[in-house]
Order: sequence, then C-alpha cells, then structure tokens
Amino acid sequence: MSFEPKIVGFLCNWCSYAGADLAGISRLKCAPNVHIIRMMCSGGISPFFILKALEAGADGVLICGCNLGDCHYREGNYKTIRRMTLLKKVLGQLGIEQERVQLHWVCASCGDEFVDVVNRMTADIKELGPSRLGVKSRDLTR
Amino acid sequence: MEKVKIGVYVCHCGTNIAGTVDVEEVAKYAETLPYVVVARHYPYTCSDPGQELIKKDIKELGVNRIVVASCSPRLHEKTFQGVLREAGLNPYLFQMANIREQCSWLHEPGPELTEKAKRMVGAAVNRVARHVPLEIRAVPIFPATLVVGGGIAGMQAALEIANSNHMVYIVEREPSIGGHMAQFDKTFPTLDCAACILTPRMTEVSRHPFIRILTYSEVVAISGYVGNFKVKIRRKPRYVDEGKCIGCLVCQEKCPWTALSEFNAGTGKRKAIYTPFAQAVPNIPVIDTEHCAYFLKGKCRACEKFCDANAINFEQSELVFELEVGNIIMATGFDTFEASSVPQYGYGRYPNVFTSIEFERLCSPTGPTEGHIILADGRQPESVAIVHCVGSRDKNYNEYCSRVCCMHALKYSHLIKEKTNAEIYQMYIDMRCFGKGYEEFYNRISNEGVNFIRGKVAKVTDEAIAEEEKGKLIVLVEDTLLGTMLRVPVDMVILCIALEPRKDANEVAQLFHIGRSADGFFLERHPKLDPVATMSEGILIAGCCQGPKDIPDSVAQASAAAARALAMIARGKIEVAAVTASIDETKCSGCRICNLLCPYDAIFFDEETKVSRINEVLCQGCGVCAAACPSGAITHNYFTADEIEAEIEGVLA
Amino acid sequence: MEVLSPYKEAADVILEAGGEPLKLCYQCGLCTGICPWNMVRSFLVRRIMHEAQLGATNFGSEDVWTCVTCRACVQRCPRGVEIIDVMRAVRRAVASLGLGIVPDALRISAKNIAGVGNPLGEAPEKRNDWAKDLKVKNFASGTEILYFPCCVPSYDADVKTVARSSVTIFNKLKINYGLIGTEVKCCGESIRKAGHEDTFQSLAKNNINLFASNGVKTVVAASPHCYHTFKNEYPELGGKFEVIHITQYLASLIEQGKLKLSKEVNKKVIYSDPCYLGRHNSVYDEPRKVLQSIPGLELLEFPDAREEGLCCGGGGGRIWMDTPKGERFSDIRVEQAAAKGADVIALACPYCFLNYRDSVLSMGKAETMQVRDVGELVAEAMSI
Repeated sequence: MSFEPKIVGFLCNWCSYAGADLAGISRLKCAPNVHIIRMMCSGGISPFFILKALEAGADGVLICGCNLGDCHYREGNYKTIRRMTLLKKVLGQLGIEQERVQLHWVCASCGDEFVDVVNRMTADIKELGPSRLGVKSRDLTR
Repeated sequence: MEKVKIGVYVCHCGTNIAGTVDVEEVAKYAETLPYVVVARHYPYTCSDPGQELIKKDIKELGVNRIVVASCSPRLHEKTFQGVLREAGLNPYLFQMANIREQCSWLHEPGPELTEKAKRMVGAAVNRVARHVPLEIRAVPIFPATLVVGGGIAGMQAALEIANSNHMVYIVEREPSIGGHMAQFDKTFPTLDCAACILTPRMTEVSRHPFIRILTYSEVVAISGYVGNFKVKIRRKPRYVDEGKCIGCLVCQEKCPWTALSEFNAGTGKRKAIYTPFAQAVPNIPVIDTEHCAYFLKGKCRACEKFCDANAINFEQSELVFELEVGNIIMATGFDTFEASSVPQYGYGRYPNVFTSIEFERLCSPTGPTEGHIILADGRQPESVAIVHCVGSRDKNYNEYCSRVCCMHALKYSHLIKEKTNAEIYQMYIDMRCFGKGYEEFYNRISNEGVNFIRGKVAKVTDEAIAEEEKGKLIVLVEDTLLGTMLRVPVDMVILCIALEPRKDANEVAQLFHIGRSADGFFLERHPKLDPVATMSEGILIAGCCQGPKDIPDSVAQASAAAARALAMIARGKIEVAAVTASIDETKCSGCRICNLLCPYDAIFFDEETKVSRINEVLCQGCGVCAAACPSGAITHNYFTADEIEAEIEGVLA
Repeated sequence: MEVLSPYKEAADVILEAGGEPLKLCYQCGLCTGICPWNMVRSFLVRRIMHEAQLGATNFGSEDVWTCVTCRACVQRCPRGVEIIDVMRAVRRAVASLGLGIVPDALRISAKNIAGVGNPLGEAPEKRNDWAKDLKVKNFASGTEILYFPCCVPSYDADVKTVARSSVTIFNKLKINYGLIGTEVKCCGESIRKAGHEDTFQSLAKNNINLFASNGVKTVVAASPHCYHTFKNEYPELGGKFEVIHITQYLASLIEQGKLKLSKEVNKKVIYSDPCYLGRHNSVYDEPRKVLQSIPGLELLEFPDAREEGLCCGGGGGRIWMDTPKGERFSDIRVEQAAAKGADVIALACPYCFLNYRDSVLSMGKAETMQVRDVGELVAEAMSI
C-alpha cells in the first residue's frame, strides 16, 4: 500500500479555519491527509504543540494563519513567523526535514488556496516519506 | 470531581454527511471510546428534537460532556452551547467535530471519509474529557452610542437610538451632516426629491435632545472594549464661534475668495468661508484655510468686518476630547470611482463627459446650473449616452456590482426627458432592477422612450469620421444583441461610476479593529445572518461602508444596527467570552515576555508580587501569551495545552 | 433553427485553453469594441467567445484566422479572458484535427517552417548570409551575447538592414557577441499562434538544445515576437537564458555611457509600439529613451500610443496572409503619421517593418515617409 502521510493542521479560527470551511462549502476537494485542529490565532500555537504532533506520529505539521495585516488580533501572525523561523532551526538540528513543518497564509475567502496548500503539502510529505521521529515513537509504543 | 460521562451525537445533516459518511458506524465507534456513555446518530441534530435528545441524555443519563459531530463550530457552536446551558451544564464542557465542511464536503467520497470522521470524533472525545467549566463574566455597559458618519445611515441609526432616550453622538468629518444623499436630485424609483425627504431628517437630528452632532470632527483613537469604549475625538477649528454664529451667512456673501465646491462635485464654486449647501446642519460656516486670503497672505478679514455677531475667531484651535460609549456604529459611507482612471472614456479630456455625481448636481435646482441640464458651452444636449458599469464589474477596477447604477441611470433618463428633448442611449451589460418597485420603474422609463444598447462601451472619442459625428462625442460599443459595432454620436456622456470603499477605509478599519472584505468594504460578521455586526464586539456597521447599497437598504441596515445597540443597552450588561488567558502566579517567573506580546495591553506586571497579571476584561483570548510563556504559567482557557495535546493524540490515533 | 451539437473533442480543447475566465465571460462586447479590425471590417470577438463557451465554434469561418493577437482586448477585458489563447485553440483544432481549412498562404509558411526552419522557405545554410561582409563571429565559448535577428531580417532583402545596423553598432562598440550557426530555426511564436502547436514544440526544442549546448546565457532579440516566446514560452519547455530586446539593450548601453550619439538626425520621428513589445511585455519606455537620445531628433507620438497603440496587422500569423487594401492597419498608421507631420516612422519589430514598408510603397508615400528601424537611426546618429 502506498504511503499516506498523517498531517496535523493548526488553523486560526478567524481566517484559515473559515477558509477551510469555505473550501468545503464550495465543495472543493482536497487530499484527506490533513487533520485540522482549530486554534484562536496562529500566534497562539505553542512550538510544543508542533513538537508534540511530530512526536505523536505526525509526518507533517501545517500551520495556517491570516494574511499579514489581516490578523484578527492585530499582529499574532507576525509572532507566528518569528516563532516558526526559530522552530525550523531547532527542527533542523534534530534532523527533521524543514518541509515537514509548513506555514501558509489562508484567508477566510481563500477556499481554493486552502485546497491547494493541503494538496501541495500532502505531495511534499509523500515525497519525503514517513517521519523518522514518528516511526521511532511508534516503535517505542509498540 | 464527578466522573466524566461523555455523550456523542453524530449528525446526518440530511444527506450532507450521511450521504458519504457511515454515521452509524461512526456512532458505534464512538461508543467504544473511553468515558463515552452514549453515542447516537440523528438526522438533524441542530433541530428542536435533536437538541431535546441531548438535553434528555444530560438529565436522564447524567451525561456531563458533549461532543456533536456535525457542521462547523463557526455555524452551530453557540447553538449547542446554549443547549448545555439550558440543561444546566457549563457550556464549555462541549466540543464539536466538524465532519461536514471539513470532511464530507471536502474530500472525494470513499471509505476514507468514514475513517476520517471517526478520527475527528475520537479527537473531540479525547479533548472534551479534559475540558473544565469556565466562568462567564458580565460587565456593565455605557448606555451612550457613537455613530461615525452623518449620512442617511448614520442619521437613521442615531434617531432610532435617541428615540429611546439614550444618548447618541454623531461624528462627521465634513462641516455638515447629510452625506451623499444631500447631493442627489431625485431618488429612484419614486422620484421624490432627495432634499425634501432628507432635510427634515437633518433638522430632526439636530433638534433631538438625545443627539449631539460633532461636525468637522474625526475619531483619532479608540480604546476599551464592548460596552466600555473610550473614544478620542479631534474637532477641527471652524474659525467661527458656534455659540455666537446666528447663521445669517453674510460672511459667505461678502467673502471675495472662491474655491471649487466639493458639494457640487467640482462643478461649481463656493467661497473660502462657506457652508457646503444652503440647508447645512449645523448652519454654521467654516473657513477653508487653503483658500482664505487671511490665512494665506495675512490680510482681508472681510468676514470678520461684516459679522454682526462677532462670531469669527481666527484664533480658534483644534479641540481633542474623549467620549465614553458602549457601542459604536460605523456609517462612514463610500467614495466614488475616479473616472479618469478609465482613459478611453475621456473623462477629464472632454468637458461633456460627466460622472453620475456631477450629473446629480447638474440636475439639482440647488446645483451650479440651477437644475438646467446643459453642456459645457451652455447648449442643451440633443443626445445623451449613459454608460453603465464604469469601474464596476470589471477585473481591472472593481469586480463587484455597485448595485445602484442601473437604477440611477434609468432615473437620469427620466430627468433628461423631463427637462430636454434629448435622445437617450443606455449602454448596459445587464439591467439589474432588483428592489421593490424597481422593475416597475424600468418599465416606466422604457415606456418613456429610451434606447437600450446591450454592450460595454469600448471608447468615447471626438474623432469624427462622418458628417453627423462632427462636433459630437462618439461612443463606440458593440450592440451585442444585434452583433454589430455601433458608433453613437452624442452631445453628452454620463459615466455611471462605481461606489468604492472610502480612500481611508484601511486606516479606519485598523483604528476600529474591524476587518475588510476582499472588495475593501468593512466586513460583516456573517454575510447573511449578521450583516450589521463586525468581528469586533460592540462595533456595528451600516450603509455603504459595508458595501454598495441604495437608500432603502442603507436605512434598513442602520435601523438594524440601532436595534442591536439598543438590545445591549437594554440588557445593561454583557457577557464576555470565557476564552481568555489566565496566569498561575505560583509558576510565573516575572520575566514579562507576555507583557509586550499582548496586542491589547491586557497583561501588566504587578510590582508588588513581581508577577504578571491579566486584565480579563481587556483580554481577547488570542493565546499568544500562553504560547510564549517559558514557564508554562499561562493557560489559554478552552485551548489549554492539555486539551490541545489530547486532540493531537486523538487525530493521530 | 440550429441544433446545438458541439464537436466535443474540439470544444473541450478550446474551453480548456480559455480556462476559468472563458466561463466568466459575460458577453459585454468590450473586446469587439476595442478590436482594431472593427475600424475596417466587422469582426465580432465576443461572438467567437460565446461560440467557444457553447462549443459551437464555426471552424469553417474565415474569422478563425482574423485575430492579429494584438492583446488590445485582453488588456481591457473586465473578466480577464485570455482571448488570444482561445483564438489559438480554435486554430489548433482546425490545423491538427482537420475541422476546417487552413488558408493557403499560412499553409505554405507552416510547411516552410516545418521543413527548412524559416517561413520564407530559404535554405538554412544561407541564414547568416546577411552578415557575410560584416566580420561577425560565430557564437563560441566565452561569447557573452547571442544576437538573434529573426528569420525576416535574415532573409528578406529589405529588412536585412535591421540586423545589419545592429551588428554594425555592436562591432563599433566592440561588444562581445556572436551569431549562432545555421542550425538555428524560427522561434515559432507566430506559427504557434496560427495553431501549429506541434511545429512550435519541435522548433522550440531544437533552439533550446542548441542554445544550451552552446552555453548561451543572454540573447538579444531583434523581434518582439522572438523576445516574447523566448521570455514567456520557452522557460516552460526548459529554456533557461536571459532575453533582452534590442531596444532595451541599446537603452542600457546609452544609460551606461557606452553608446554615445553625436551626429544630429534632424527628422520628425514617430514611434509605433509593437504589440509584442508593448502590450504583451509592457516595454514602452526604452525604445523612446533611445530615440530621445538622438540629437536633433524630434519624437512624435501617435494619437493612440503605448497601451492603446494600433497593431500593424502582422501578429498571429497574419504576416504571412494577405490583407486586402482598405483593411490594412499599417495604412491607417501611415496616414496618422503623415497627419502628425512625421518624416520617419520608427519601428522595433521586423513584422511591422514589412507591413509599413508595403503600406508606404502601395500608398505612394515612399518619397515623403521613411520606414526605419530604431537601430538604423541609432547607427545613423553614430555616423556609421
């Protein structure tokens, strides 16, 4: 059987979660691999949540927030950028491929963009193969 | 703590979910999960009997946590939280699994859909088991309301509220209230004159004991939150003492200096000391310092000499003051499209190409031609082309339809027919006559004899290639119904220009913390079910600032916004969402990282105890602080680390 | 009454070419109104779009071959329809699916291009003969710039001057440039627009491989058509090189102070924007800058210049087809130039050159109106 990655998607409530809803409302279709968790703001996504997801077996983590300038909380997404830049460095040091954690802006009226992001990310992770971290922790639990 | 008992309700949503997801299997799976005491599937969980089902289980089975797997929480989270509350449970002991928008609708049908739905339900069950009751807080509100913008929408909203004997402040940046409607001649479809219905309203507003008009003023800062806003207003100097001026307007008469009249859309002149129009409210002039000789060259003061009331005050300076209000209604209106940005239509190059707003002034008895429809050289036009959709429905400018142009174009036909013998051509793409009495108006005008040409105008030129074109403007258009290119020679061209967001809509949106939609207008909370609220609690919108609309719609929306504000005033206090952050002071190291991150300045450092504290009333619950706290001292309620991690484990199970 | 029975295969190809925006077309007719053909004859662009929407294209109509791909309509279309792509797909359906007849003139050019790599049907080994006496080097390793003159100046006796003036300037300035061998073929821009997709693909692959194997990094193109396809279409097929139009290159030489123009050219010059330089690629200023740098030269403008500039009539494969007298855009242009008092029409495209030359001759204005390439005027101002 081909590899079907598991991706955890953290979406901000105001733009990206609404964008994902809009994709569904518009009956656009995307790969089913992203499992969405609703957050209030992308700036409220703790790096620990991302690490936790990778540790718990996610092959990738998708983070979506409002377009820059459109944050419901004024500037949360700028904080997300900074946090992600730092986290990516840490991930690199841990030997986790950068592409496994992706940040994208998806606005509330960007259903098509959301579908695009999900499909592209799913393809990216398929190419990378299963996360070693996930495999390891899966083995450990076994 | 009492034992966790979870009830799971999987919704069919008719066939929207059940058509592709095996809801029965999802419910069966849910029953096997820890803490789940009951799992049901039901055709429409949001319906009354669906809600009753949940209430019954809470009462009879002692269920104390609820998971509903149905549509988006953006749609029905509040509905189901209400069910919990009615059944005596804390509304935050609830979690939704969005298996419609983000599952059954979003993926190709197949067995994976059911699997995904199961996983989503599993995650919700895992999460809700860790939910804790949250306190819902109530805060008192200021009963006064601020209305930003004194056009027809702002006035309507103000009157609705003031008539309940609650204070309203209207802030208007122009010297007079009245807005765009004051510029119009007659209004469709009834053809009653705008001034005849507007000016009594303006007077009513000005005389109302519960309304205070602040003209020539702007909001410069805003702080606080719903129910408790503090608004800073800057009042520009008029250089006329409002207390002394009796509105005799001798100053205006005597002033030797002129400028183009904004009110007449640049088609006529006004003085350097002026009221924008004769029925201005307040009827107190302002001095335009950019054209006043005293301000420019240091001499003249003619107005001062002739003012018997001694009202002229060249020393007046701007005034900044603060108001406390509970609600704010935005009614800032629209700007019109810059016609010269469509160069092929010749606006600005050919004097007989007019915009719709200029034509309104041309038709108006109070306008520069006293209502005579005449060309730049004073002749009456023998033929007029009315060009629709200028800057509207066009990817190169604005993609949206401006909604009012078809109707005012028809109105122009009537006015031209009434006042001249001109032949009229309407170049349209689609006739959109959607309102009450509008189709009838279209019939009436068609009957008056108008030539309708279906096609978007390609070009307006003065290059004649035939004898009958000489000295005329030639409108090039394909009559798409005939399938023929036409050259239509006319004397006058009227461009029906788009209604656009105010030029400073972005700054204003940022000032008031409200969103804008892709078209640039202010964004409503919900396009159908909540068109008057914004994503910022306590800030409401009405009229064209939310999108192009006609007068009846603006008035209706203004009344609706007023009703919303009144409902809050009547309640006297409001419940603030419990999704805020809180600090465990025993864990806080006092590093103050969170202090600077908070976009609402809701976190402050307590010098005495050396820990940070959160003002729960200011906190909007974004969670940025919780994500950044290095000691894990901050909890983002309803999104706690424990809850999110449980959800992560659930979706990856 | 007609039965609507779309020829499914072709209809789908066309719909796909029009993409999402074609579905959005709301039949406002702006394209028809803007299309220059309607100055001289009826050509209902809107109708062709509607036929494409319904799958009811009339493949036998001569209108299939009318569009000059000047982009005036696309530029203003309120719904962003890629009208040229639709026209191309319709032609492709005719050329490859045999749903109609390809006009003779076009068929011959297409055959020539496919056979010997140039539309004129000339021998490939004679491609660089125009430069025989000019000491032009062949492109070799270490050569910085490939000069690509387009088939028309390479073979046409009158238009040669376009290429010859450019290399004369290069020689004088000691530019490190070269010509590529005679294996190079037509860029394929126009034949693609004329619906011969397969021919275009094979031409492009030939040229891309040739450029790559020679290590070409920068191409200076004489024709906006070559420039356009190199810049916008070759990259999708793997072409990786920079491309500059000759007028852009001359402008940059002037700006860097390498090219100094000292001799006065006391003429009233009117510049005609080539569609593929202007509307297709938004290059408006550089050719004007070059002309304005020539001492003594008075630069005039057409009443409809830049974004509104009128096509010469040679795009979309029309350069190989006959346009009857009275329907030639270049004739209108010559009249306009004369009315403005111009002595010279300055051009930056070999197709324009051909059309304007014919117009001036057939209108009997050769005595009073010169047709000159921008490069020629520069060479004159350098007194070479």
